[in-house]
Amino acid sequence: MPVALVIVMALIQNNTFREFQETRIDVLFVDEDRNALSGNIEGSFQASPNIHLIKTESGKPLTSEAARQLVQRGDYQAAIIIPAQATVTLRKKTKQAVDELFAYYGFGPAIPANDSPAVELQLLFDPAIKANYKQALTSAVEKMVTGVQAEWLTDTIQEQFGGTEPKKKIKIDFSRMIHVNQMIAAENTQSGLAINAVQHNVPAWSMFAMFFILFPLAGNFIKEREEGSMLRLRLISGSQFPVISGKFIFYLFVCLLQLVSMIGVGLYVMPVIGLSKLVLGTNGLGVVLTGLAVAMAATGYGLLIAVYFRTPQQALSFGSISVVILAALGGVWVPTFAMPQIMQSISPYSPLNWGLEAFNDLFLRNASTSVILPDLVKLVCFSLVTLAASVLIYKSRTVS
Amino acid sequence: MSTAPIIHVSGLTKVYQGSLKPAVDQLSFSVLEGEIFGLLGPNGAGKSTTLMMLCGLLKIGAGTIQVFGLDVNREGAEIRRQIGVAPQDIALFPNLTARENLIYFCRMYGLKRHVIHGVVHHYLEAFGLLDKVNMRVSHFSGGMKRRLNLIAALLHHPRLLVLDEPTTGVDVQSRNMILDYMKKLRMEGVTILYSSHLLEEAEKLCSRFAIIDEGRLIAAGTLAEMLAANGGGENLEQLFLHLTGKGIRD
Repeated sequence: MPVALVIVMALIQNNTFREFQETRIDVLFVDEDRNALSGNIEGSFQASPNIHLIKTESGKPLTSEAARQLVQRGDYQAAIIIPAQATVTLRKKTKQAVDELFAYYGFGPAIPANDSPAVELQLLFDPAIKANYKQALTSAVEKMVTGVQAEWLTDTIQEQFGGTEPKKKIKIDFSRMIHVNQMIAAENTQSGLAINAVQHNVPAWSMFAMFFILFPLAGNFIKEREEGSMLRLRLISGSQFPVISGKFIFYLFVCLLQLVSMIGVGLYVMPVIGLSKLVLGTNGLGVVLTGLAVAMAATGYGLLIAVYFRTPQQALSFGSISVVILAALGGVWVPTFAMPQIMQSISPYSPLNWGLEAFNDLFLRNASTSVILPDLVKLVCFSLVTLAASVLIYKSRTVS
Repeated sequence: MSTAPIIHVSGLTKVYQGSLKPAVDQLSFSVLEGEIFGLLGPNGAGKSTTLMMLCGLLKIGAGTIQVFGLDVNREGAEIRRQIGVAPQDIALFPNLTARENLIYFCRMYGLKRHVIHGVVHHYLEAFGLLDKVNMRVSHFSGGMKRRLNLIAALLHHPRLLVLDEPTTGVDVQSRNMILDYMKKLRMEGVTILYSSHLLEEAEKLCSRFAIIDEGRLIAAGTLAEMLAANGGGENLEQLFLHLTGKGIRD
């Protein structure tokens, strides 16, 4: 079941974690301008691998009203509407700006002020569209318009200097002036990896499933208590520590087996079903230590629940809800950085957060063991505290 | 039978949390080495509470219990090493087989690996369970469970055996087997503290008794001593009813 959980969650969240650049969406394109500006925007988008422009509906050119209805119905996520006369208006406004500039510095006659309205390009969005898609599409359109404006501005300036023949004008390629490079910061020389559904879901849900070890652990522990076998162990002389530690070691092994299975699924099954392959980073020892520390914390917590509660109903209902809360706080569902400030301040108290941070450091940032050490220490301390509390409670209940 | 007390209970008192009335109230009695001692009383008299305190499973409210001269409060672990307990409730792993249960308990008792097989075989044979050795305990009859429950208390050859209603809910055959084995153990020098509702069975088996009611000791000694001290009667049951009354208990 934990393996199925990891696969299902990774599949469900695959698109959520994919960047805008990694996906291809259909965008309606309404060209009421039919001129240079709309042609420029259309040409740029058609060269983009992420946007597929749709200009017709049922063989007819799209109108702005039809586009609005299609987006409103949720058939498409976005529409770009270039209004009529957009090119003419923008050219006029560009020329006006250059004329004003020249006049200001005394290179031309003073001209009357012109407060004609700005060109209004419209981007319509489906309310359900992801914010990053919306942002990316808006930025892309703005970037294209800025490029067109810059080109027209240099054209107009050259015309002011008398360069009216197109062959004599200089073309300035603004795109070659500055590049914005995206890189993932990583500790080691190898570059890091951006988070995706597999990189997030495999460690996150593996830990969630590991903490759910409390179900079989508490269930069996209380069952043994109710069936009487625990009474036999209490009647046998000696420390109660072997009874508790025996259960701890067994379920620790189960947790580790679970983690290994789920990492195996990330490595070998997920690529087969169309997801990314899990990348474990470069610190194998760190992964082993983190897995062990998380397994210890999960088993310790399960044991404490098992020992503390007297009935399976109490243990399992409290245990499951508490694990869900710890998982939510820890960033299993929503990454910590996306949480409200108050939740971000609580999140570092969840053992699942310590584990997830350590796994993210290892998998995404190629961190060394010293970087993850504070999280490992917290997990091991949590485990020791819960184990000690379990032994004390068990002992106190032995003679009550 | 030696006259040295192997168990000495003095002024034992226990009040459960939330209860005003003590479950055990100033109880005192002694069990001599090598005897079968019957702890008798109606339902709710405090027998099981007394036995649980004696085994260290329940904190003593007041008074003392000494077993082998050791104090239960301070040296409970050492005492448990030398006693075998067959509690009223079956204390076995139902999903394990008889052999698996006994091997596991042998290991918990610290028996050496090379003797475990022999010990397990010996008791399974003695209690007629050898052919059921690989059957899960959950599939056992009530009588078989009782016998296995008793075996689990004997694996480490205890000096003292504490049996809380060991024949409850078993058929005559199983009961006779258990009682015969108890007699055999007494012959071997094992002291047995035995609690039961079955007065006829207790009368045949025990050399001395303590009858308690509402947590208090109301009679103690041999049957003859108790009959003489309480105005006669013919047997243990008549004496018991005389002392505890005929009213129904919860």
